[in-house]
Amino acid sequence: MIEIDEQDLIRCPVCEAVNINKGKHNICRRCQSSIYKHTKFRTEKSWAYLITAMIAYIPANLYPMLITSQFGHQEGSTILGGVILLWEHGSYPIAMVIFFASIMIPILKFMILIYLLISVKYPLGKDKKINKHKLFYLTELIGPWSMIDVFVVAILAGLIHMANIQILAGTASTAFVLSVFFTLLSAHAFDEQLIKEYDRG
Amino acid sequence: MKLKNEEELDDLIICKKCFTLHKKVPIKSGTKALCSKCDAVLYKYNKDLPKKGLALSITALIFLLLANRFPIVSIDILGHEQYLTITKTFLTLFESGFFIVGFIVMFLIFIFPFLITILYIMIFLLLYFKIGDKLSKKILVLISHIEPWSMSEIFLVSILVALVKLIGYAQIHMGISFGALIAYVLVDIYIGSSMKLPEIWMYRDKVFDDRNR
Repeated sequence: MIEIDEQDLIRCPVCEAVNINKGKHNICRRCQSSIYKHTKFRTEKSWAYLITAMIAYIPANLYPMLITSQFGHQEGSTILGGVILLWEHGSYPIAMVIFFASIMIPILKFMILIYLLISVKYPLGKDKKINKHKLFYLTELIGPWSMIDVFVVAILAGLIHMANIQILAGTASTAFVLSVFFTLLSAHAFDEQLIKEYDRG
Repeated sequence: MKLKNEEELDDLIICKKCFTLHKKVPIKSGTKALCSKCDAVLYKYNKDLPKKGLALSITALIFLLLANRFPIVSIDILGHEQYLTITKTFLTLFESGFFIVGFIVMFLIFIFPFLITILYIMIFLLLYFKIGDKLSKKILVLISHIEPWSMSEIFLVSILVALVKLIGYAQIHMGISFGALIAYVLVDIYIGSSMKLPEIWMYRDKVFDDRNR
């Protein structure tokens, strides 16, 4: 007979089996994955990825995302420039999609992750009104959609590839893809268990 | 809370969305259990899971092969005909020197979708024939690591966005692969929502527990 506190039950992030929190090194009894074993630096890994992603997001907005080359004349457009251009041309839905995918979602994700990472250490989110688990679930759900703009650039570059008129990917696409990649890694490295432990006391 | 042994933890489940602890109750085949707090689906039970899974994942593989074989779209621009295939999307990036973007795009829309579909076929085959106690574990762990990185559905939306941008400049013809890609994405979403990984784990536990007893 084992007696345990209900709060000591944790969920394996890989197979979702319920495990007992034994302290230092937890290995899932079903799939043998380790469940966030870094006890000393639990948020640092996530922070590191997040900061990398935020740094990469700066050149992603400054450099051109898409370069149109017409009869030797090259013209680049940044993410925001592309959105404004689309808006002016009257394709509002597409402008909205690109705006949400490449500007709103990344910034929203940065802010939610910063909030979560701070709130599990310092009394910032003591109010129980916000369900932080739901917030985290939301970031995981919307995160990958910021890849839309990169795919669009890749598709246009693949389609329009002629001697006179060419569309090329710009420097920003590399920065943007790295930013999305590291944001996803940061969300994966975040230990959801910390939310529960902090709310407990 | 008292438990006889660790095995009894199998009767518990923590909601994916809101982290509330629940005790599992046996449900009929074809029904689902919901979270008492946030109404998210906790688990479903289907006694024909491997059969259904095999049928769907083989369908997905066929559509995925078709989607990669033929052009997705072709456009007519100033008298030149240009076409696009999934592989051409990242090969062009390689050609123009964008190796990082090309590499990541290649994994997200080409390698991972294929890998996931093949792994699904393997896991359902193992469960159908009730073999591979250890191997099935490894496959399920691998699937859960790769799944968030398979982005075919996002690629599909991107194609639509790119085409809307081209309206007015070029004449657009949809290829066979465009239909196949839509079909693949729909089947893939259906597999992901009707047979979630924890449910496959539950089924797997049941199969091998019954056999070992």
